[in-house]
Amino acid sequence: MSQDWLLKVDNLSVRFQSRGGDAHAVEGVSFEIQRGETLALVGETGCGKSVTARSILRLVPEPPGKYVAGSIKLNVEGKGVVDILSASTKEVMAIRGERISMIFQDPGKALNPSLTIGSQLAEVFGQHRVEMILESAGIEPARASRAEKRIAKQRASFVQLRFFQLTRRSKAAALQKSIDDAVARSLADTGIPNPRKIMKSYPHELSGGMKQRVMIAQALACDPDLLIADEPTTALDVTIQARILELIQDMQKRRGMAVLYITHDLSIVREFADRIAVMYAGHIVETGPAQEVLANPQHPYTNGLLGAIPHRRTPRGQLAAIPGSVPQLIDPPEQCHFASRCQWAAEACLGHVPQLHTIQPNRKVACFRFEEAESLSVAKTDMPIPAEISGEARR
Amino acid sequence: MTTGPGSKKTAQSPTPKKSAVTVKWARRLEVGREVLRNPLTVIGLTIIFLFLMMAVFAPLLAEPNQPDPYQSPRDWSNIDSPPGVAGHVLGTDSTGGDVLYGIIWGSRLSLQLSVTVVLFTLVFGTMVGSIAAMRGGRIDNLLMRIVDVFLSIPELIFALAIAAVLGPSFSNIILALAAVFWVKYARIIRGEIIKVKQADYVAAARVVGDSSWNIYRKDVLPNAATPLIVQATLDMGNVVLIGATLSFIGLAQAGLTEWGALVSAGQSGLLAGEWWVSTFAGLAIVLWALAFNLVGDGLRDVLDPKTEGR
Repeated sequence: MSQDWLLKVDNLSVRFQSRGGDAHAVEGVSFEIQRGETLALVGETGCGKSVTARSILRLVPEPPGKYVAGSIKLNVEGKGVVDILSASTKEVMAIRGERISMIFQDPGKALNPSLTIGSQLAEVFGQHRVEMILESAGIEPARASRAEKRIAKQRASFVQLRFFQLTRRSKAAALQKSIDDAVARSLADTGIPNPRKIMKSYPHELSGGMKQRVMIAQALACDPDLLIADEPTTALDVTIQARILELIQDMQKRRGMAVLYITHDLSIVREFADRIAVMYAGHIVETGPAQEVLANPQHPYTNGLLGAIPHRRTPRGQLAAIPGSVPQLIDPPEQCHFASRCQWAAEACLGHVPQLHTIQPNRKVACFRFEEAESLSVAKTDMPIPAEISGEARR
Repeated sequence: MTTGPGSKKTAQSPTPKKSAVTVKWARRLEVGREVLRNPLTVIGLTIIFLFLMMAVFAPLLAEPNQPDPYQSPRDWSNIDSPPGVAGHVLGTDSTGGDVLYGIIWGSRLSLQLSVTVVLFTLVFGTMVGSIAAMRGGRIDNLLMRIVDVFLSIPELIFALAIAAVLGPSFSNIILALAAVFWVKYARIIRGEIIKVKQADYVAAARVVGDSSWNIYRKDVLPNAATPLIVQATLDMGNVVLIGATLSFIGLAQAGLTEWGALVSAGQSGLLAGEWWVSTFAGLAIVLWALAFNLVGDGLRDVLDPKTEGR
């Protein structure tokens, strides 16, 4: 399995320049994603999980963002390894959408309000599947004229398109049909009823769940190896959340793609993730198989996160919030970043930043006090872990 | 109405084919219909339409003067005659120029002024503003400081200075106005693009591997352009207003059938009770500016409902 890694993030550090100094958004983050695997990157707002995710597609705006160190290696099947951070813009553009794709938190904001659903999806095919479009329109890609190529690429100007439609009627219709078919197929794949009708609608005419399905269709149109889902259900109604997540899982199984969930919702993690990486203040503090980490957290922060989840069986007033707030990211002190909020903090924690130690095969934790796990797990029983999260209710 | 199973089938059979383009136009039509629901906008559109007709059919409404139709024919036997004198419905000015002729042929000049200035400033301003917003950083800073310099001088005075330096002629008025008006568009589009650029759908377009130019063309510009359309409509009126001011001061050739020049020509007679020259020409300017303002406001209410119309 370990040979079959798809994405390897190694010692990634991203900083943002600001007036008060550089904000260390992501510091020395390393993880691997295997083919077909589901990894969940968990943490609270501002911990660097979204920056990590966007770095994978090199979407962090530079400036103010800056990739200070590290590499993000993508194992492209049959083509070898590409380092996304040092690749050319053209290479990165070829990877985006084709190899790695992403869906966003708020589908309402992630679709262009002035284009129909159909033309937005057509963009993706125009970017990565020009040959397929031309072929299914009965045009040999090598012999396609400039105009035909431009139309397939969705680059034709209005005048050019009209002129082509007037002069080459049947070819124009064939091209349009070929594009429409591809779009309809990708929409139908995500379980959208009546895709031909939806294609002609504008985003504001669709419901939130429908828009998220369109987003997923757009992201998966070119069969990527990795899908990054940045809080895919946060903006949706609870009733639709499960369906969208099941859809992603279903697509994942059918296509054998890997999924990277960015989330703060631990119930998603429990249900859908194979492995989990907990982030805090730009560092990964704990990683391991999802079930094990949730059932037996080793880092005090993970422990705190689990305790902070409301649950219908939690008595009133017993929700255990983690005291304090996320430390400043601008020029952070050389110490365990969680120390100021940690009830087990000792002198050792203030000296330097703890590194990830392997504590069990597959499990790593960045805490100086994990050896005193006994004391931790004793304390842990104080915090009620919701049954749904720890998995007891389902078994 | 009863339908058998056979007729039901035909009722469901192939839905009319609609391409994405038709859908787009259907939506534009919808916007148009909504605009027409506002009576003030309809009034504005009607006035604009009448002025357009006037400009197009000027040679039919008033026989063109030879050799230059943009110079009023001089009727030296009827100087300063009030409205209603034979052959001069709206009277004549102090050189025997027919006021109605001036207004009719002046509509052509006004239209020419509005369209050239607005078109040029819209395109140029959008280009500058887009480059600034899309590139950001130092280029943005440089371009916007230039814009600031232009904006810091009151537009009328700036236009006046340019026109005065270039010398009195109608084309210099156009140049002067173009030099003044583009900055507004650069500012507006830059602000809008910076706002739109933050949108998730722009990130989503980058995620699927779109090129910057394509993103600008399809995702950024269409969603940032609405305030430009409104501003352009309003400026169609403003340009004529300021252009008239310039020719009023005397920056157009003498005797030109330009509305501002007409107001200027009638000015000396005002105290003597010869009100008709300045009044009718002034009325034309007011109506023109008012009409475009009504339409601009109406458009804004429909296209950008967030800003309160009234």
